[in-house]
Amino acid sequence: MRGAKALAIALALLLLSPALALAGAAKTITLWYPAGDITAGAAHFADKTLFADFEAKNNVKVEAVALDYDTMQQKIFAAAAGKNIADILFIDTSWLPGFLKEEMLEPVADAKAKAWLAAVSPEIKELSDYGKGRMWGYPQYGIDVYGLTWNKDQFKEAGLDPEKPPKTWAEFREYAKKLTKRDAQGNITRVGYAIRHVGHPHGVVHKHFWAIYGAGAALIDNPNALRGGKAMINTPGGKAALQLVLDMLDVDKSTSLNFPDPRAAFLKGIASMQISETVSIRGRQPKEAPELKWGMALPPVPKAGDKPVTLLGAWLYSVPKQAKNKALAWKAIEWINSQEKDFELCKKYGASPRYAANWDKEPFKSDPYDQGLKQLYPSGKKLPINLALNGIMDAMGGAIQKVWHHEASVDAALAEAERLANKAIAEAAK
Amino acid sequence: MSRSTLVAVGKLPLYLGVSGVAILMILPFYWMVMTAFVPAPDIIAFPPKWIPSRLTLQHFAEAFAKAPWLAYYWNSFVVAVVSVGCSLLFGLFAGYAFAVYRFPLQNFFFILILATLMVPVQVTSVALYILLAQIGWVDTYQGILAPNFASAFGVFMIQQGIKSIPVDLIEAARMDGAGETRIVLTIIAPLIKTTLATVAMILFLGSWNDFLWPVIVINSQDLRTIPVGIALFKDPYGSMNYGPLMAATVISTGPMLLAYIISQKYMIRGIALTGLKG
Amino acid sequence: MASHRNRSVRQILARLHARRVLHAYLFIAPVIVLFGIFRVAPAIQTLLYSFYKVELLRGRFTFIGLENFTALLTDEIFRKATVNTLTFVVTIVPISAFLGLILAVLFNAKFHLKEFFKAVYFAPMVTSTVAAAVVWWWMYNPQFGIFNVLLKLVGLPEQPWLMSSHMALPSIIIFSIWKTLGYNMIIYLAGLQAIPQQFYEAATIDGAGAVKRFWRISVPLLAPTTTFLLIYNGILAFQVFDQVFVLTGGGPANSTNVVVLDLYRQAFERYNFGYASAEAMVLFVFILGVTVVQYVYSKRFEVTY
Repeated sequence: MRGAKALAIALALLLLSPALALAGAAKTITLWYPAGDITAGAAHFADKTLFADFEAKNNVKVEAVALDYDTMQQKIFAAAAGKNIADILFIDTSWLPGFLKEEMLEPVADAKAKAWLAAVSPEIKELSDYGKGRMWGYPQYGIDVYGLTWNKDQFKEAGLDPEKPPKTWAEFREYAKKLTKRDAQGNITRVGYAIRHVGHPHGVVHKHFWAIYGAGAALIDNPNALRGGKAMINTPGGKAALQLVLDMLDVDKSTSLNFPDPRAAFLKGIASMQISETVSIRGRQPKEAPELKWGMALPPVPKAGDKPVTLLGAWLYSVPKQAKNKALAWKAIEWINSQEKDFELCKKYGASPRYAANWDKEPFKSDPYDQGLKQLYPSGKKLPINLALNGIMDAMGGAIQKVWHHEASVDAALAEAERLANKAIAEAAK
Repeated sequence: MSRSTLVAVGKLPLYLGVSGVAILMILPFYWMVMTAFVPAPDIIAFPPKWIPSRLTLQHFAEAFAKAPWLAYYWNSFVVAVVSVGCSLLFGLFAGYAFAVYRFPLQNFFFILILATLMVPVQVTSVALYILLAQIGWVDTYQGILAPNFASAFGVFMIQQGIKSIPVDLIEAARMDGAGETRIVLTIIAPLIKTTLATVAMILFLGSWNDFLWPVIVINSQDLRTIPVGIALFKDPYGSMNYGPLMAATVISTGPMLLAYIISQKYMIRGIALTGLKG
Repeated sequence: MASHRNRSVRQILARLHARRVLHAYLFIAPVIVLFGIFRVAPAIQTLLYSFYKVELLRGRFTFIGLENFTALLTDEIFRKATVNTLTFVVTIVPISAFLGLILAVLFNAKFHLKEFFKAVYFAPMVTSTVAAAVVWWWMYNPQFGIFNVLLKLVGLPEQPWLMSSHMALPSIIIFSIWKTLGYNMIIYLAGLQAIPQQFYEAATIDGAGAVKRFWRISVPLLAPTTTFLLIYNGILAFQVFDQVFVLTGGGPANSTNVVVLDLYRQAFERYNFGYASAEAMVLFVFILGVTVVQYVYSKRFEVTY
């Protein structure tokens, strides 16, 4: 019995100790960010001194926790279910509809939103504003623009002008044909254009948007409406977009299903052109392909004179409704997204700034990559915000994969995708 | 020609067949090790270099830098040891009770335990996850262990093993005044050592290689077990370099393969026996 | 009267103690309680959830009757997943078993390095499916993987393997056969070694050749082993997940989607817990059905000499 009593006291002390330890410490707020090769835009969180000044001024500790990008959505969801979620979430904007559907996020205060929208450059404004000045978070610098990148040396080798990327679909097909290489047995060793056709259906859709938008089609009629709307997948533009790549696969044979990831293929030199986030190439090329000379431009359009459109994606600093330290969280977010911090961090990490005023300062003013991005930004559109976005993208991604893998015809696949997308929209509107 | 040589020659097709298949079985391991130790340009050289001309540890350095393998090992170890330990302990007592005692609802409980073999984790994972989310066990050690604190297979095997122990031994111990718990721990357990060891080995292997449940319940990188670690190490878009990727698989499978090489005779025999009883 | 009752309670307790009923319950308690909470209760919950729309974060559970199940019937993706799973089961279980049987017969003979070869064949079973799948994913790489390299060496055209919606599932099947072959071989070997030599000797005296001995003696007497392997591997094959997750993630174009993967997606990526529970129920019914059918069917083939 004596032993039992001693055990009980020891146990009690053990259980109390964390409470005792916490009593006198500074408050801690947690920030979750995705880490991994994909996430060039979150690199700065690895720096433990990132929030040093903020921490000192507010007697608070900001704990940045790295999560794996692929499982981050689940983690956020599970944490919300268990009511044990971080205070700041650094999320991919394409996750936004999923979270909004579950009513998980708190919007930015109206006054702060207004101030931000007035001070940032136009493409950031486009990314931040979800209708009538409503902001669900602050977009990160180094936003993703989907652009065409090409290998200048391989262009020269094929007799093409390395400074002149293809501007129309016809040119695009012609260039791709010239750039494709085969070995003695007829296997393709280098594709003119690498496509994304495996993996998550959303990724497939992202990298096909240039063709969809370029052909004048869209996913949904009202991109800013949270609920309702009609899917616009099965349109002449949508069909043309799918048919373009299908022809390059079957007729031109300038692309192939054997090459899994456009960016990896491009960096390894086995693809001459690809269309995806330029910031990834910019981030990975120095280490993975130091000799590679590449150019970046807007994706080609169906015919001369058409307006190019491309996809804008970004990361958002957001605060979940169930966060325990919301006021501090917003304060930290506003601090790191101030004009001074924007300038300092963009300079340090080689990214493009968000405040209009910062664009006029060096080094951004003369950086060729940043200035190149400026050419692309005006043509950028962000993803629709509809709560059914996940379902719509699943349907579209499925259709794209089926067509390119010859499992279904263009008409059948798009009709089916439109049906499924409208179903998802109806479900989400309930 | 001597008789044994004739016999050997007659067996030539047998040897060829067995060796041929053996090469196919080993090819993946061989290629994994090759890619892990050979410098990047040599990996994709054509024609392939079956015997490497130079080796490097660069890929291992990269693999170690990219993920906390030691943490993964620790997690796998903790989970395996706790789950196997609990399964053995609880299974020992439960197996004893089912083998030696007669009590009301005995058959019901026994069948209930065996029935869990029919309903695999895959089927119950969703509801179990919801339960764990509501008590905050998601992304914790307890969460990973939740469905694995006990093993129906263990209870069954132990109960079988105990059944063969003569009742007189137990009676004699009782006469000597030993309590039931003491009997189980000091008399029964040593007598079914082999069964316990076999069950421990099979359960350990199962826990070490378990993937579905851990990948559902683990969200933090630091909590990952090795299977989750290696599965998520591979970038689904194929941008991971093959050298570090194979180095990572060597890191993941190396120790278990080593343990296997040392104890394979025992492992194989143990698993074969469970098949017979099944 | 009170003391009367007291004594009988004490008597009952004493009798129970002598019959060790209390001990029994105490001893089985940990297993029963733990299973009850973490295995049995969730199983029942799954059945319940399948009739609901489950919105976990909002704490809303709406009863929708059979709506999940009717939705499953028209869900083209789930249908494909079911077809793929059935294809998978129907191919790897018999093929792996048959090859395992052949190998076991070969290994029943005496030859040098038998133990070494046995260990080699069994090694894939010891590695985790995901780690092995990662290696095979690399081997299946169309540009640099060893399979296409070997094809190129002999002048055959390169194959897309996991990149093609037609080849992906067969590629996964090949991997799975490689993984489970050793296990089937070991189990069959144990079964073979349990067959008394006299049967074979008697048959040889009667003039039966090796093939006849195989079909007339080995195969029938191995029927219980075959039943076990078909059921056991069948159940495992229905639950296939690890290698699909690693090798293809269910693509391309849904050609390798399987029931457990779809269940996982619906639950943990789309948060449709009710719908996923309905899928889990369907899976359970399949497993149960296959097991019962196999068991009943096999009883007709049991043979004793």
